[in-house]
Amino acid sequence: MSRQKLTRLGVELPLLPTSTVGSFPKTPELAEARTKYARKQITRAQLEALEKKATEFWIRAQEEIGLDVLVDGEQYRGDMVAYFAELMGGFQAGGLVRSYGNRYYHKPVIVGEVKWPGPMTVAWWRWTQSLTKKPVKGMLTGPYTVMDWSFNDYYRDRKSACLALAREIRREVEALIEAGARIIQIDEPAISVRQEELPFAIEAMHLTVDGLPAYFITHACYGAFETIYPDMLELPVDNLDLAISNSALDLLKIFEKDPFTKDLSLGVLDVHSHRIETPAEIKARVMRGIRVLPPERVWVDPDCGLKTRTVEESRSKLEAMLTAVRELRTELA
Amino acid sequence: MQLILSSAGSYPRIGDAPDLQRHRRAYAQLERGEISAGEFTTVEDEVVTGVIREQIEAGMEVVTDGLIRWYDPYSHFCRGLEGASINGLLRLFDTNVYFRQPVVKGPIRRKASVILPEYEFARSVSPRPVKPVLTGPYTLARGSILEGGYRSAHELALAYALVLAVEVRELSRAGAQLIQIDEPAIVRHPEDLNVLEAALAVVGRERGAARLLLHLSFGDVAPLYRDLQALPVEALGLDFTYSPKLPALIADLGSVKPLALGLIDARNTKLETKESVFPVLDAVLPALKTGPTYLTPSCGLEFLPRERARLKLETLKRLRDDYLRGRS
Repeated sequence: MSRQKLTRLGVELPLLPTSTVGSFPKTPELAEARTKYARKQITRAQLEALEKKATEFWIRAQEEIGLDVLVDGEQYRGDMVAYFAELMGGFQAGGLVRSYGNRYYHKPVIVGEVKWPGPMTVAWWRWTQSLTKKPVKGMLTGPYTVMDWSFNDYYRDRKSACLALAREIRREVEALIEAGARIIQIDEPAISVRQEELPFAIEAMHLTVDGLPAYFITHACYGAFETIYPDMLELPVDNLDLAISNSALDLLKIFEKDPFTKDLSLGVLDVHSHRIETPAEIKARVMRGIRVLPPERVWVDPDCGLKTRTVEESRSKLEAMLTAVRELRTELA
Repeated sequence: MQLILSSAGSYPRIGDAPDLQRHRRAYAQLERGEISAGEFTTVEDEVVTGVIREQIEAGMEVVTDGLIRWYDPYSHFCRGLEGASINGLLRLFDTNVYFRQPVVKGPIRRKASVILPEYEFARSVSPRPVKPVLTGPYTLARGSILEGGYRSAHELALAYALVLAVEVRELSRAGAQLIQIDEPAIVRHPEDLNVLEAALAVVGRERGAARLLLHLSFGDVAPLYRDLQALPVEALGLDFTYSPKLPALIADLGSVKPLALGLIDARNTKLETKESVFPVLDAVLPALKTGPTYLTPSCGLEFLPRERARLKLETLKRLRDDYLRGRS
């Protein structure tokens, strides 16, 4: 089982390990600095100093809240695909495209062979881990999502682009492991968009992680689950992170038919709502998981990155989550 | 042979150059209360005029207004309906674009025309025919949260059809000759083809002299293709980018309806070449029993940056002209 794998990797975690999906809101000071940097009013070094300050703020916050597996909070990243596309060879910044309403973003374009440029996240991971004794997750975006959220001017088709990306992202995984990361999350929120492409998304994940000594988590959005279960269990990772806070889906019914074979991270906080969930609500959501899987295989986290919430909302939501988990640990002991 | 160049729906409302950012700036000003709704409409008018001009310069012979005034394909129709409200964001099929999901709580009733004023404005500034676009009743129903008023999504689709039929009647009376109905949802739910057929029959009753073009995108239409021929519409618009088998299938089965061939990938920046497009035309065109045939992007162009959208249309024109020249 995966818990034994964690032990082998030297990671000991309590029952119902708690974590977050990756991003935290930028602190107001950093948000302002990013605007100034975009307007060339401050230097890269000045911005980076504030990114580090904000990262440290979030490490302390996670420790105070009592989370078990920490993240760097992605204070130095804008978008989860653009961050990597800006660093990797083979990409160009694309023109603006609309996401919704009046929101636009620069969608990257693959214009040549994609190339790992050397470590992209390792320095941040290493520095963040030096701030805490708790394990910090390595955080990457998976090859399928990077492919799907980019234009492709170069590769013959989507599959070729995806597999090429997988081979390069693997080198980042290797670099994180070499630096000491033992838990690595490779996010694939796009994985459900074209069911017919799931086989090569899985093939890409094999290329990314096979044979590498780490505990791998993949975060997918909940829509994914209904359309690609149980096939998504073929993803070669130890833990699938699924949002259930907003879903009325009956896990029991689904898992009875096709048993869930991995560890399950239950996304129990609605990151798109300002409302702070009560510990009782959160306990009920966790119980939906515990009814269908042994508690040893269940992790607890929000249903997505918290970057769209305020600092205060993020803290309050996570505090409620930890209150719920502590009560459950006592009840289950 | 007549091959008419046409847009398939949306067009990017801004570009990267500062002078193409007017819409975005005005939208932000509107949200901050710095300009009035009327002032924002004036900006929208200018942007519509600009995207129509751009389509015509790129060679399009039938244009759209770029759906510049739509927040998204769902809420644009449902926002003003009695009995419906608008909910949170949901991903639009397999795109990276989000729409606000309608919530239906009671019988829906149209309070005002949605597309007619947009069509009338577009026509007033376009020297070429304008094709109005409607999101179809099945897709609207499939994308709505049903909380009351109807017992099923099937019933809701028929209710939306009644609403859209009035839009179609108004457009037809105003002179629209070709009206596009987008029904991407059916591609992923072919089991509901009978629902779509019933809903389109309701919409079609009001079409008068206008012809209805059913446009399908965001999925492989090949499994549905044979059955599409029996639907109560005058023409079919097909997204070829998901369907490697579609050209051979059309070559084999033919088409009794005029087709709009969505050969240009409106979701990716890579530009098409004669090597990718001519073989499809060679396979498909001899099998078409009636015309005219339209050449279009696979769906609306809003998924691309503005400069690439224009290049795609220019590519479509160049390929059409080269193809016809090669045959003459």
